[in-house]
Amino acid sequence: MTNTRRMRNSFARPVVLAPLTITGCTVLLFLVGSILARGFMAPSNVLMLLALSADLGIAAIGETVVILTGGIDLSIAWNVTAASIIFTGITQGNEGHLWIGVAAGLGVGALAGLANGLGIAKLNISPIVMTLGMNNIMQGLTLIYSQGTPSGSAPASIKEIATGWLGPIPIIVLVWIGLAIVVSACLHATRGGRYLYSVGESPMVSRLTGIDNDFVLIAAYTVSGFCAGLTGILFTGFSSMSFLGMGDQFVLPAIAAVVLGGASIYGGRGSYAGTFVGAFFLTVLTTVLAIVNISIGFRNIIYGLVIIAAVLLYRAYTRERE
Amino acid sequence: MGPRPSGAARQGAFGATVTFIVLFVVDFLLKGGHFSAFDLKTLCMNALPLVLVALGQFFVVLTNGIDLSLGPMMSVSGAIAALTFSTSPIGAVLLAMVAAAGGGLANAILVVRLRLPPILATLATMSIFQGVALVILPSPEGTVPAGLTAFLTNGGPALLPVPLVLLVCAALATGWTMTTRFGIWLRAVGGDEGAARSSGVAVSAVKFGAYVLAALLAGLGGLYLAIATANGSPTIGDSFILLSIAAVVLGRVAIVGGRGSPLGVVMGALTLTIIGSLLYFANLSSFYQSLINGLILVGVVGFDMIRKRFLLAVRGGRQ
Repeated sequence: MTNTRRMRNSFARPVVLAPLTITGCTVLLFLVGSILARGFMAPSNVLMLLALSADLGIAAIGETVVILTGGIDLSIAWNVTAASIIFTGITQGNEGHLWIGVAAGLGVGALAGLANGLGIAKLNISPIVMTLGMNNIMQGLTLIYSQGTPSGSAPASIKEIATGWLGPIPIIVLVWIGLAIVVSACLHATRGGRYLYSVGESPMVSRLTGIDNDFVLIAAYTVSGFCAGLTGILFTGFSSMSFLGMGDQFVLPAIAAVVLGGASIYGGRGSYAGTFVGAFFLTVLTTVLAIVNISIGFRNIIYGLVIIAAVLLYRAYTRERE
Repeated sequence: MGPRPSGAARQGAFGATVTFIVLFVVDFLLKGGHFSAFDLKTLCMNALPLVLVALGQFFVVLTNGIDLSLGPMMSVSGAIAALTFSTSPIGAVLLAMVAAAGGGLANAILVVRLRLPPILATLATMSIFQGVALVILPSPEGTVPAGLTAFLTNGGPALLPVPLVLLVCAALATGWTMTTRFGIWLRAVGGDEGAARSSGVAVSAVKFGAYVLAALLAGLGGLYLAIATANGSPTIGDSFILLSIAAVVLGRVAIVGGRGSPLGVVMGALTLTIIGSLLYFANLSSFYQSLINGLILVGVVGFDMIRKRFLLAVRGGRQ
């Protein structure tokens, strides 16, 4: 009894402290930003930055779920691109084909995720190998489908969701916050969510308590694929067309957002609230770096250093209790 | 189920060699039963950078690690060499290698000293090396001495072209490394780190060596790539992130460490290289390349897992 309580406390600390830390860092960035550019802290700019983070944040839902199980999904890049290219290919900007296009885009992502989950759970393939392989498979399929030149554009309604405003608030921000609430509720208040943590914490214990580990893993990767598909469709609305390699920019930041949010890469610890702030932090960081005219090269270097710093810092949180 | 490194290693290399030979024969038939000295040279030249970086990845995977930064490491060393060749060729090579060693050292410190999970540490350094390559060489440029390019891609007698010699040297050197105490300890660490430690293996030193050696081999691969293409490119290594892992996996190296042989890895790299040629002669668009790479990667691992389970089931039934 005391043992379980101690366990719970030890897991709670980084889960609470990490998002607080990254929130603090985001506030600091805003202070820096407002010194560099007037109006950086204005509510409209904050909402704008939230809107810019939304696609990354939604892709990172899947990555959070997968990392909670102790896995990783490196196939986001071409899952996003495939969904987007299929979506524009089917709709061709035509509102009438909207729902078929959405279904196809989400379906392609979910199918790729399902294949990942089956390979990892049923064939015991390592998540890195399986999802790297799937990334290549999706790249190949997308190239063959589009013959190297994606066609079509986003229907107006998707553009409206991605770039429109509902009164003072960007629609995409409402979508993201809505999803965040649903995901957090699923993770923390449903049996499925508890299973996810349990599989990540200890597959053995989880199996002994009667949880179907394989099913949990397959579901997690399918969700990740589905989220990549959704990201692909929403990002198409933002850029109003699809292009090869459009998903590449999400892979590293999605993993980084999860890690910055305090999740353990070994699984079993983390929250979507943390990831949410992590994704927002990365977007604000990118924007601040853009204001001071930092080149892409230096931005990549800073991204890498931020990940290392976060992991080291958060580990100090876990160690303190020992 | 005791560890039998030599037996298991030979078995893995055997499977990988058979895969390569089968594909080679198909390629040979598609080309109309034609394989010239030129084809040999081209195959070795195209395969060499991948062979080098895959042998590097092999060391890291043996310790139950993974290195996602080796591809961008190739870009960095190639970019440095391409920018400094005109000043001093020897200096350029040295500088590129020093940079690679530095990158490997950074990985080793993160993974071994600071005990970051290899995937996170090398994901971070992947981003850092990509950035470094872009900072020192924002767009593809640079010069390579024409004589050097000609010699390293085209030199040597017809049946013993320089790329083949280099490839064999790399394989032999790695094979020799595996027979040294370092090599044996490497397997021990990947097989069971705790057991290795308690039997006196210097686990940290071995892992340190693996990451530095991997970066050096990636650096050599990037150097050769820059020389062969007579150019430096800041993103040329990116595709090798996947390919180096794929070659190791195709070489039947256990991704959880401890088992595998350099010969298998070389065969894995050759297999991936010949797929490109196969597609060309089968009149399939290059769009199929990544699809087939992915399918083969997943297929080989999946097949091995199914086979293992089947064998276990058969054995279980006998008992």
